[in-house]
Amino acid sequence: MIKVIEPGLYSNIQDHGRFGYRNIGVPYSGFMDQESARTANKIVGNDENESLIEITLMGPTLLFNADYILSITGADFSSLINNDKVDMYKPIHVKLGDTLKINHSKYGARCYLAISGGIDVKSILGSKSSFKGITTSYFLKKGDEIKVIKNNKSNFNFEFKSVFKIDSVLNVFKGPEFNNLKKDSVAMLLNKKFTIGVNNRMGYNLNEKLQIGTKSIISSPVLPGTTQLTPSGNIIVLHRDCQTSGGYNRILQLDEKSLNDLSQLKVGQIIRFKLINK
Amino acid sequence: MKYFIYSANSILISSDSDINSDLIQVLSSLKSIIEIDYKEYLIDTVQSINSLLVVFDSNKISVDDFYIKVKSIKTGKTKNKLKSKIWEIPVCYHTFYASDLEEFSKSKNISKQEVIQIHKSKVYDIMSMGFLPGFMYLGNTENRLHCERKLRPSLNVKEGSIGLALNQTCIYPQDSPGGWHIIGSSPLKFFDLKNESACFATPGDKIKFIEISKSKYESIKKRTL
Repeated sequence: MIKVIEPGLYSNIQDHGRFGYRNIGVPYSGFMDQESARTANKIVGNDENESLIEITLMGPTLLFNADYILSITGADFSSLINNDKVDMYKPIHVKLGDTLKINHSKYGARCYLAISGGIDVKSILGSKSSFKGITTSYFLKKGDEIKVIKNNKSNFNFEFKSVFKIDSVLNVFKGPEFNNLKKDSVAMLLNKKFTIGVNNRMGYNLNEKLQIGTKSIISSPVLPGTTQLTPSGNIIVLHRDCQTSGGYNRILQLDEKSLNDLSQLKVGQIIRFKLINK
Repeated sequence: MKYFIYSANSILISSDSDINSDLIQVLSSLKSIIEIDYKEYLIDTVQSINSLLVVFDSNKISVDDFYIKVKSIKTGKTKNKLKSKIWEIPVCYHTFYASDLEEFSKSKNISKQEVIQIHKSKVYDIMSMGFLPGFMYLGNTENRLHCERKLRPSLNVKEGSIGLALNQTCIYPQDSPGGWHIIGSSPLKFFDLKNESACFATPGDKIKFIEISKSKYESIKKRTL
């Protein structure tokens, strides 16, 4: 069992996501940065889609009530076990009574803490991913006790090298309403820089405005990566917890790699869009 | 129908024609065909009022090959038209459960009784689900009920609330903030993880509202708890 001493800003349990229920309005959820999360699982010998802890901006402090094998991937949050610095992208052995303090990062917004065996929580609609309205708890709170599934294998992987790098050029396809953009808006969208604004697991607002007055569409399907233009000219890039449909113009669609990159960017950072189907 | 490669693993099928029950039927039947014939590739389908998004596993088939498969399905009204289910939903329109009925009836200059009469006299299509798990968009309402969303959304719309906005009516499956005008409430559960399928209805089905009294509402509510 792992005890939450301090929960951090937004630490939550995620696996690869909840698929097959979008038609009744259930979002996918799942790892924001799939690449880092899957790597964390592989290092400790888990299935790459197994549940783990996703950590955002400010990390938690955790106390271990048994021995475990862990790995931490993604952004470097200068984590400490007791008072020793932790190697990232390596299996780490923690013992009963050890404390892991995950701090914060200079580069990147999220890190992933995988525990060999995976997290022992109920799977709902085929997934352990936290989501309000589906799971009763949706972020870690002080005093929570996290149960871990026993893993008797020792199939750990010592070969991974940290390759954590964030690309701020996001690869995009044209969205279904791309053609509702005026010529100068297209030029702006594909040539100018945009700044990350308020964001969460549902979506990322960008600070710059594009054309104003684009009429809403009939509520239509959207996916993580769908980039919407609101009538007031705001741009929103939807992410893993996004709703299943929306009424704004769908001007772009990010590819999977760029969704991972975006999830590691912070408020105030700069992005560009690069069209991959011209 | 238009076919659009939406992402590396999804295809959007949409129609420009007028929205009506026939189009919803065409999309529903297309969805059923894909769910049966291409089950092995399928991750998800999302049906909306005039489109269908098909999400597939791109490890199993390329987007170009899947595009060809989906495009080759014959659409249009089939002879053996899908029989859609009609769900009868009890609704109490008592002001206790209808926080916006009074104001709505005044703004429309229609009596409350008339608003209720108009609302319950039509069978609605479930056009799509979204916003919240199990949130149903139902349409179309009669022109006289057409309205903009509330200028200020309510912070806590109760589970079961029946709302009006634009030419649609809706059911809130859980407590939530919301901008629809609330004119009644149903005591049923519309999203229940205890059931094998969390939602009993799906897009393409139909909903008919049956008016019930406050005491009937309370007795049903007791049973569904």
